[in-house]
Amino acid sequence: MHPIPGIAMERRRKSRCLRRAMASVLLGIPLSAAAGSVEVLVNPAQAHVSIDRDLLRGIFTMRVREWPGGEPVRVFVLPDDNTISDIFDRESLGTYPYVLRAVWDRMVFTGTGFAPTVVKSEQEMRERVHSTPGAIGYARNDEKSMLQLFLLGATDGFLSGDRHD
Amino acid sequence: MTDQFTKGSAAGWRPSILHALFVSSCLLTCRPVAALDYQVHGYGAQGFVLSDGNNVFGDSSHGSVNYYEAGINGSVQLRPDLMFAAQAAIRDAGITDNGVPRLDYALADYRFLSLINSNAGLRIGQVKNTIGFYNETRDVIFTRPSILLPSAYGENQGTRSLLFAAPGAQLYTSTVLGDHELSLVGTYSRNRGLSVSQKQLLISLSGLPFDLRIRDSWNAQIMDSIDGGRWQIAFSRFYARFALKAPVPVTPSSAEDLLGNIDVPINFFSVRYNARKFSITAEYVINTNKDFVTLGGMPYAVTTFSSDSEYLQAEYRLNPAWHLMARIDTNFLDSGDRSGHRYADVTPGTDPASRFSYDFTTGINWQHGDHWGVWAEYHWIYGTSVVQLLDNADRTPDDHWSLFMLMAGYKF
Repeated sequence: MHPIPGIAMERRRKSRCLRRAMASVLLGIPLSAAAGSVEVLVNPAQAHVSIDRDLLRGIFTMRVREWPGGEPVRVFVLPDDNTISDIFDRESLGTYPYVLRAVWDRMVFTGTGFAPTVVKSEQEMRERVHSTPGAIGYARNDEKSMLQLFLLGATDGFLSGDRHD
Repeated sequence: MTDQFTKGSAAGWRPSILHALFVSSCLLTCRPVAALDYQVHGYGAQGFVLSDGNNVFGDSSHGSVNYYEAGINGSVQLRPDLMFAAQAAIRDAGITDNGVPRLDYALADYRFLSLINSNAGLRIGQVKNTIGFYNETRDVIFTRPSILLPSAYGENQGTRSLLFAAPGAQLYTSTVLGDHELSLVGTYSRNRGLSVSQKQLLISLSGLPFDLRIRDSWNAQIMDSIDGGRWQIAFSRFYARFALKAPVPVTPSSAEDLLGNIDVPINFFSVRYNARKFSITAEYVINTNKDFVTLGGMPYAVTTFSSDSEYLQAEYRLNPAWHLMARIDTNFLDSGDRSGHRYADVTPGTDPASRFSYDFTTGINWQHGDHWGVWAEYHWIYGTSVVQLLDNADRTPDDHWSLFMLMAGYKF
């Protein structure tokens, strides 16, 4: 079976991500900081909003309190010492967890803003972002969906050395 | 003294804050409330101080636990542009703080401009003063680089309670221009009297009763945060005019009024570089006092002098849990007489080292998760300008002294 070229490229990309993800799952190694390894999650009601780096920084420094439509922004983060937080802060925001923590503490202890809600796991992150109006957060690219792709894609041979690079 | 402290710092402005909050509520909540978000946070930390030579925060020469801080706050966001917040705090630190609960801040925050790259708003009530890098949250150990702040913040001196918060109005705005986030915060503080404990930390008139009020007090800060906070550059200015009045006995049956103004402008120049593993911070602070005091209408004390403080500080993060810190911090009561000799020459019996301090500090911090932290630090100090004399009333200050501090804290 010959995949459609555009789909094939996407599958190869997913294939590489998948191998990394599977290796991580099997070996217990955190995903590398490769670009695209952490994604921004938004509540479905805000899926139409175009999020660039400026807006992302504004939101995660708690400076931007509302979405363009007026819905309050509710920010969810993983703990500061979580590897995903470190990757997200550096790659998506261009800063570090301790710098953000200083910004949040300053707001919390001066009465000038909210701190983001800290969740314990990526699963909780996905659930809370999905169920909370105006929510935004981040997580690794979904391993579960990649696993499904793996199982489905194996029949297409895209994980069996069928490379078109 | 305790009662008056409470009265001076809280009761005096409570009606105006409540009034302001009430008026704000009435004016700004006429639209339906779409959502009600709230948060509650708090902090608490207990310190231990052991010093050799001079007391700090109590009888530290024998080891003191007379040093703690705690607070709890709540914030309610009625709408994205309208927020109310208040924090109650308690702190004990020798003569400079007495463990009486205080309302640290209580404010209404109305954001009248809210764009992706710009915002502006107004806060009214008891607001925190935005001065330097650490003033606003100076009593929360988790936000400080060390247990004891650099001398520029007057942690052990009378200026402390003047700097951290005041009743008034605060305008703020920020805008993003490329990699620069520019922010401006300006605060106008209400005229107010000072409590007995605040006054005794600022002025000594040989036991004479006196009245001291703050007038025309304001502060402002402009900051440029570059590239996500990698560089932070700020200038802050605090200004207050103190009005002094004291009846001075001239003869057994008559007294003349000692009247005067003491102008206190304090300028903070701040810069910080944040890397992944380390941060470098430096601040230079200059305070130019202008005193104009008359006795019976005739000039009595007309002086101008500048004191300054400066420090260079390095923080290194071994990993998310363990952090190291080192700092060199200097303080001069007269920047035109850094050795103190000129002062000692004209004031017989005084020690030149009482006019300056050199403090070399090293520290270590361990943080467990988002809530717990333990700090330890050691200070080698030459000079006694930062020594609080009221904590050392029965002893002669020691020029060469050291200080060990330990603190454990929790926040949520």
